[in-house]
Amino acid sequence: MTALQRRLRQYGHLWFTLPGLVFFSVFLVYPMLTAFRLSVVDWNGLGNESRFVGLDNFREALTSVTFYRAAWHNIVIFLAILVVQHTIGLFLAVQLNARPRFMEVYRTILFLPVILSLVATGFIWTLILSPNIGILNPFLSDIGLGFLAQPWLNDITWALPSVIVVQAWNHLGWAIVIYMSGLQNVPRELREAAQIDGANGWQRFWNVTFPLLSPAFTSLTVITFIQNIRVFDVVYVLTGPIGSPAGRTDVLGTLVYRMAFGAAGVTSADIRFSYAIAIAVLIFIFMLICSTGLLYGLRRREVEA
Amino acid sequence: MPTAKPELRRHSAEHAGGSKPGASRRALLALAVITVLASPLPVSAQEKVTLTLWHNHPEWKDRVLAILARFEKLHPGIHIDLTEMPSSAYVPRMNTALVAGEAPDIIALNAGPDTRSAAEAGYTTDLTGRLDVLTLTPSALSASQVNGKLYGVPILGSYTVGLYYNRDIFAKEGLTPPATWDEFFAVAKALKAKGIAPMIGPAQDGTIPGFLYMLIASSILGPDGLDAIRQGTRKLTDPDVLKAAYFLRDIFQYFHQGALGTSYTEGKALFALGRGAMMEAGSADYAGFTTTNPKVNLGVVPFPAPPGGKPSTVTGMQQVFGINSKTKHMSEAITFLQWMLTKEPAQMVVDTITLSTSKEVLPSDNRVMVEMIQASKSNDVRVWFEFPQTGKVFSTAGLKAQSLFLGELSPEDFAKALQDTVNPAAK
Repeated sequence: MTALQRRLRQYGHLWFTLPGLVFFSVFLVYPMLTAFRLSVVDWNGLGNESRFVGLDNFREALTSVTFYRAAWHNIVIFLAILVVQHTIGLFLAVQLNARPRFMEVYRTILFLPVILSLVATGFIWTLILSPNIGILNPFLSDIGLGFLAQPWLNDITWALPSVIVVQAWNHLGWAIVIYMSGLQNVPRELREAAQIDGANGWQRFWNVTFPLLSPAFTSLTVITFIQNIRVFDVVYVLTGPIGSPAGRTDVLGTLVYRMAFGAAGVTSADIRFSYAIAIAVLIFIFMLICSTGLLYGLRRREVEA
Repeated sequence: MPTAKPELRRHSAEHAGGSKPGASRRALLALAVITVLASPLPVSAQEKVTLTLWHNHPEWKDRVLAILARFEKLHPGIHIDLTEMPSSAYVPRMNTALVAGEAPDIIALNAGPDTRSAAEAGYTTDLTGRLDVLTLTPSALSASQVNGKLYGVPILGSYTVGLYYNRDIFAKEGLTPPATWDEFFAVAKALKAKGIAPMIGPAQDGTIPGFLYMLIASSILGPDGLDAIRQGTRKLTDPDVLKAAYFLRDIFQYFHQGALGTSYTEGKALFALGRGAMMEAGSADYAGFTTTNPKVNLGVVPFPAPPGGKPSTVTGMQQVFGINSKTKHMSEAITFLQWMLTKEPAQMVVDTITLSTSKEVLPSDNRVMVEMIQASKSNDVRVWFEFPQTGKVFSTAGLKAQSLFLGELSPEDFAKALQDTVNPAAK
């Protein structure tokens, strides 16, 4: 057998990855490389006229207050959703893992928001929270809780928390499913052994079950990070392209959209396509670094069952 | 098809003469199929050409389709395939399609930077000398040209923006529409005291605040003043023009509750349903108001002016319709645009949709359009974003207005932010 034949036998299976690799290259690698190329020119998104500007677009973004404000809102949304996922999500997963009656019904109801598109989610919650047509405030008034009514989407205090609630509602199903799959991998023997040793319910959960859920914790944290740093749809539908009120809900996604396609439909005078792409590249780099860091850091503390 | 029948009969008779019955039937069937496939189609069906057209006013769809139906009746060989989409989605989709080479045959673009960029990139066809544009108003013709060449025509009219008021509310409260800033505040206070929202002011997406600033500043500047701003000889921070920023800030208290969380589209619906007494809006919005509420009773006046100023309106083109340079149906597309410049469709536009860009027509039965034409005689200024020098003032005003309303930005800083976007060197 020649060296070539040996090598073909050893690595021949790699040919099966070719279709996927071609698909990945055409639809992901090539657009990404194009984005990097466009981020170093001045181009308004139409025509062939562009001018090489080097790193000017990146420099401008990194010295822009608007950019940091939007990024800060992304981080706040991520941290808030993370807390919700790892507390309420975990709690609901534990309850469902105990297989109560109608478990399938509960699980379906809780997972339903995940399969809704984010645009549909935004519209549904607009009908609930809108200052003009929203049903929440009239409902609160009708049940004698009118003092709790707030201008949810047009108040600088309540707008971002409202967006977080909607985003959390949409994403909670992921946490439940991921934690449930993790819980099903926790050996019953370990919990029984802890029980025999005299550990109470909380001690069994905290010292036995939770450490064994660390792979689920890692996956969920990284997914939540990626989903919320690139959040766009819900914010756009709920509070518009400029992140109303007064930029209090502006996120990196709406900032990129505004720069790439303009805030209003009546003119493209303010479009800066290359600048938008430069911001998108910065988001990509930020996500890559943070996701890698999170994976590295969280994997080190994972416990094998 | 009629020509096939004698053939069919002849062949049937021959086969009936002596062939086997089964073979005869198969031959007859085969012949029938061949005859049907080979038979000549009616001329109109054979040569029918479909032109694709995208447009950004879904609320006008029935009215636009009525005009297209009339065109197709007169030109049976051409079908127009209309796709309507919301204006917020239109620019992203059209720009992406242009770059990807997948734009429709008829390309509708906003006048100004959009039309210029598409023409300079070669996406649209130079129509100079290929269309008779004698009926167009001078401003419509000017908005359709790039570097002196014609790259489209505004076939669905123009829009003039002024101050709409609900005639029923004003009549009930015994009020008259305001002509000055002082009158505006007096009317707004009276309405607010009665628990009526004086003004529907959707500020979520910046469109209305941007137009409001243009109107208010135009009432101070007039067309000559805007020219001076464009040339850099006057500034938006000049003390007299600065008053526009103060006035914009001060009228926010009379916007409807929840204005900062209300989008432009939602605001139009609220006004049509009588949830407020006044709203800044354009002639192009009237069709949407009546679609939402056919019984709405509106009037329109130019936007109130400061002491010494003139009540103003601003006017822009309701998109410029060019022809895709890659279309396979150039002559049909030219036929369509040329027909749209004739009197009949122009009359349909002004009677059912918005103001016309044709010199030959006036509204025949549309009181609000007549009032809008009257309003525009006071002090009409072109929309600022159609000029390269002031293209970004509108969007910056829309972006910064909420901070002005909330007191986070002073009128001085607001005006400075707008002035910083003015570029007299832009061409």
